[in-house]
Amino acid sequence: MNFNVASPETNEELFEVIAANQGRNFRFGAGCTDLLIELKKQPEKDLTVINLGYLNDPQFNSIENNDGSVRIGALVTANRITSDLTIQERLPVLYEAANQLASGQIRQVATIGGNLCTASPAGDMACALVALKAECEILSANGKVRVVPIEDFFTGVRKTDLKENEILRSVQIPVNNSGEKVHSGFIKVGVRRSMECSVVSLAYHIQITADDIITLAGIAIGSVAPTIKFASSACEYLTGKRFSEIGSSESEEFATKILEYASPISDIRASAWYREEVLFNISKSIFE
Amino acid sequence: MQKELKVIGKPMPKLDAGIKVSGKAVYGQDVVLPDMLYGAILRTEYPVAELVSIDTSKAEQLAGVVSIITADDVDVNNISYRRDHPALKKGRVNCIRDEIAAVAAETPAIAREALKLIEVKYNVQEGVFDPFEALKDDAPQINEFSSHEKNKNISHPFHYEHGDLQQQKDKSAHIVTSRYFLPRMTHACLAPCAITADYSNIDNRLTLYSVTQVPFLYQRDMAHVLKMEPSRIRVIQTVIGGGFGSKLDMYPYEPICALLAMKSGRPVQITFDREEEFIASPTRQKMVIDLTSGVDEKGKFTFRVAKIIMDNGAYTSWGATTPFVMMQTFSSMYQMPACVFDADAVYTNNVYAGSFRGYGNPQATFAVERNIDLLAEKLGMDKAEIRLLNANFRGEFTGQELEFNTCGHKDALEMVIDGVGKTRKENDKDQKRYKKGIGFASMLHVGGGAKIYPSDGCGTILKMDDYGYLTIITGSSEIGQGSETVLGMMAAEELGIGIEKIRVINTDTDIKPWDVGVHASRTSFVAGNSLLGAIKELKTKLSPKAAEMLKTDEDDLEYDGGTVKSIKTGESIKIDKVARQIHFKGPNDLLTVSHYYEPGSKFADKNFKGNISGAYAFAAQAIEVEVDTYTGNVRVLNIHMAQDVGKVLNPLGLGGQIEGGVVMGMGYALTEELKVDNGYILNPSFHEYKLPTACDIPEIHFYPIETIDEAGPYGAKGVGEAPLIPTAAAIANAVSNAIGVEIDSLPITPEKVLQALSNKS
Amino acid sequence: MPTDTHKITFTINGRKMERTISPSLLLIDLIREELSLKGTKPGCLEGECGACTVLINGDAISSCLYLAVNVNGKEITTIEGLSTDDRNAPFDPVQEAMIQHGGVQCGYCTPGMVMSIKAFQEHCEANRFVPGREEIKKAIEGNLCRCTGYTKIIDAVESLFEGE
Ligand SMILES: Cc1cc2nc3c(=O)[nH]c(=O)nc-3n(C[C@H](O)[C@H](O)[C@H](O)COP(=O)(O)OP(=O)(O)OC[C@H]3O[C@@H](n4cnc5c(N)ncnc54)[C@H](O)[C@@H]3O)c2cc1C
Ligand code: FES
Ligand code: FES
Repeated sequence: MNFNVASPETNEELFEVIAANQGRNFRFGAGCTDLLIELKKQPEKDLTVINLGYLNDPQFNSIENNDGSVRIGALVTANRITSDLTIQERLPVLYEAANQLASGQIRQVATIGGNLCTASPAGDMACALVALKAECEILSANGKVRVVPIEDFFTGVRKTDLKENEILRSVQIPVNNSGEKVHSGFIKVGVRRSMECSVVSLAYHIQITADDIITLAGIAIGSVAPTIKFASSACEYLTGKRFSEIGSSESEEFATKILEYASPISDIRASAWYREEVLFNISKSIFE
Repeated sequence: MQKELKVIGKPMPKLDAGIKVSGKAVYGQDVVLPDMLYGAILRTEYPVAELVSIDTSKAEQLAGVVSIITADDVDVNNISYRRDHPALKKGRVNCIRDEIAAVAAETPAIAREALKLIEVKYNVQEGVFDPFEALKDDAPQINEFSSHEKNKNISHPFHYEHGDLQQQKDKSAHIVTSRYFLPRMTHACLAPCAITADYSNIDNRLTLYSVTQVPFLYQRDMAHVLKMEPSRIRVIQTVIGGGFGSKLDMYPYEPICALLAMKSGRPVQITFDREEEFIASPTRQKMVIDLTSGVDEKGKFTFRVAKIIMDNGAYTSWGATTPFVMMQTFSSMYQMPACVFDADAVYTNNVYAGSFRGYGNPQATFAVERNIDLLAEKLGMDKAEIRLLNANFRGEFTGQELEFNTCGHKDALEMVIDGVGKTRKENDKDQKRYKKGIGFASMLHVGGGAKIYPSDGCGTILKMDDYGYLTIITGSSEIGQGSETVLGMMAAEELGIGIEKIRVINTDTDIKPWDVGVHASRTSFVAGNSLLGAIKELKTKLSPKAAEMLKTDEDDLEYDGGTVKSIKTGESIKIDKVARQIHFKGPNDLLTVSHYYEPGSKFADKNFKGNISGAYAFAAQAIEVEVDTYTGNVRVLNIHMAQDVGKVLNPLGLGGQIEGGVVMGMGYALTEELKVDNGYILNPSFHEYKLPTACDIPEIHFYPIETIDEAGPYGAKGVGEAPLIPTAAAIANAVSNAIGVEIDSLPITPEKVLQALSNKS
Repeated sequence: MPTDTHKITFTINGRKMERTISPSLLLIDLIREELSLKGTKPGCLEGECGACTVLINGDAISSCLYLAVNVNGKEITTIEGLSTDDRNAPFDPVQEAMIQHGGVQCGYCTPGMVMSIKAFQEHCEANRFVPGREEIKKAIEGNLCRCTGYTKIIDAVESLFEGE
């Protein structure tokens, strides 16, 4: 493993190194927890790592609470997400996903941007963000910004919509401030209770009015398809229903709808059969 | 000599804990010698192949490469007690671990780079990966050095029997037969293997900085391989980052490192990375056990017939001798009128198995205890009660001629039955999704060494200096289990000096006297007895002088508080003063003595009968689990563990051994399996080979039972292996109890649980 | 492409240092090979075991997955930095608790374990928070130990907060 490192501190420097490396072999490095593992397994020749560790732009580095949304910079680490009070209260699904990711040592450096850009079907924070219908804010080396819905951000296994001269700057998450209740959480299934890469995961974020009506539902599933999937028909099924009236037959119907989005494979960690069984079971469990 | 104990039985932090918490302990990977090179080993790409050619010329050209060896460059003997394992392979490879060439270079990176430049042409062949296939007549002979006793592919056959089988079958009201599948588990020591070899051609001496747990057998084996005189090999044990049986055998990388050092004329270090550790270090025996057992209508066990096929892998290690231990479990755990036992270690082209804490006993116990639950169900008898009814007892002379001079089996069962009753009440409510269950299992294991080698002894040299400080030079080794501390405590107890004045030297074969090594939970027992013998001899020097100085009789003396005291007069004198008087005044002697202890155990006879251990350890566990029927995850809630330890020497160390063993047993039960497919290892990383984490552990309730065995130091028996042995069996019984399915294999993965539930409905 | 070298300044165990390093150097290699501090242990080199844990500005990270260039301007604490010079009290309270509660067996996981606990202890104290056993388990979830079964380590951590 042998590479060069450039550590831009300002956006101008960042744009310069991106521009200078067009057509050459380069990778961004945020927390580098995915990147270094990948490079150890498959060293790349003539590689430059554009190290984001010293970038001082707050748009990359901070969590902002705006009216109606929370904006999280791509370089915000899992640990900072878990200690943010707004996220704890308003976005439990993201809090739980970040808190169940790897271990404390990894969470200390692993960034939300890295989790998204790695585009793993097992990405925990990424799964939560899909359920939350986040939007990705993408910055290009010429200074232009574009915003894409998270579902369009993932284009395949470990593939994203990012162009060669683009970088993810932040994600924006809509937050309903009308005082509705949220039923929100992240279920990660693996063999151990910690240090697990999910065999199946389920992110759910459901908003409920004071008179018990579900106004919004976001359901995403991980590790059961080439990319993380948003289960829109399951979400539609819930919207408008009374939350407290969802009984076992409704929750099974709901779970069946979720299964339609799963196309799991069998690998050394679990069979496709197991993944489907468990996905069904944990899907209905969110109403128990 | 029933005096009150002042040190023994009180919690004592480990003597080496200070240097370990400070990061100052020197492990194998921390050794740095001047001018040292780094070695790396080229392993085969295919499990089974003919080696057509090996071309090292490009690698030799790489700057920084100092020497390269292949089988053609060295003149060596085979390793392993079966002498069936060449350190470097010639002509063909037999499993995915096989070593083809090795490089020594200026840096680890250059050594690894050089491996890539070695060109090997293979003629890939079909392998035999199933031991049952290997037993067929038309199977090829897998190991060319196999000695053909029974079948060309059986490395080591075992047969044992006692009692009148037919008579006992006739007596049986119920008979059950089951087949059990036990997986490969691997030690996964936190420190990967490491060795540094330093050869001096000036005096033809080889020094090895090694992580072996059996330094004297290792010295001899190494000498055999290298065709050297053993005494020219000095083994220095570095601090060992986990052993658990993995360091009982010598592996090819060790002589390879020595050969590289000899060829280079410079010290060479080889360390494994984690992947190599998973691929190239041994595993617990994978085996299939067919067990038939019977019970009469009152619930008394009648007989057991066990037939075991072990996957030996391509070469033989000490692990092939695990049937020595397993047969005791079948023949003697719970009262057993008749037993027939057969076990064959069968060669395959899989990675070879080694020895692992418990030495076959976890597998045997799993089969026996699962069968007991099945018998109890047939009888409609309570699962705790059937065990109590058949428990071993003091004075029992078993069919295998083991003599249970002390026995805490029944007490152990009673304690855990009681314990689990209490915690069970606390979280009683069964829910729809989560199902709770309880499982029991016992264990019988050697507790006073095990005579499997012509000697099971240990030597001790003691030296007390002019200032009253004691150096214990013991043959035994410390591998993290805390034996060093226990020895220090014994000396502190007997000589009445503070533990801070005691040093234990135990790492250098040039200095320390012989010992067979760490195995069979023997160290506290055998090394302890050896030390006590040495102290007695030291006192034959100290006591006469002290008596003379205190003007009293020798049997009026008490060693306490750094002094020797007259009980009658209360007068005392500092122990260092006595030492100086002996040295400088008369008899002008030094306080150095040595002692060798050989346990009174016997070699088992040809039929494997005989009292092979100085004492036997018994334990029982009751485990409470919760099964998530949605995901198949099993959560262990409470583990109650009662063990007959003879006598508690150091409660702190004992507790640590118990908890560590139990959690390791949990890994075996639930998450750990080295997966091998067509000879390839599928999960050689901590990412895919799952050790329990802190978040997975249950509450562990430990109840030591003291039966004071005359043979042991202060009555103590061995403890190290026991806690792991019954855990998987008890967890399997608990899962079966929770969800009403048969569990006949390990690990009990969530997928297996869900599959079993779905088959049931 | 010839790789450049990078000049970095950092503080390690209270000592300020300047080094010229290769850009792809990992922190664990800076610590073990270049600075010869062998207390930080390589266990897996892939973030899974925690044996290589050190503190960066007080936070526990895995030094095997951390670029050495990223310590520029920061403060590193390794296990060697916890012990004191005081002959009568040579240990940090975390180390002392590990010794007294029997949290050390083979000791290979211990340096990393101690560093994780240290970061956790400071975090709890800064937030005036007394953790329970489940929180303690979570705090050491990234440190594998093959010997102890964790119980005595958890006991040791618990003892640090007794009387609070
Ligand atoms: C031991 C271990 C356990 C793990 N467990 C989990 C787990 O439980 N759950 C989980 O989801 N993940 C897990 N991971 C994976 C990883 O830690 C996470 O995906 C993490 O969030 C990645 O963040 P990072 O900052 O380290 O990314 P990096 O490694 O720095 O980057 C990852 C990828 O994204 C690119 N990238 C990073 N930032 C940007 C950006 N702003 N714009 C464009 N591209 C960018 C990089 O070039 C790289 O290709 C684990 C990893 C390890 C080593
Ligand atoms: S060595 Fe860094 S986590 Fe294992
Ligand atoms: S003490 Fe050995 S790994 Fe923890």
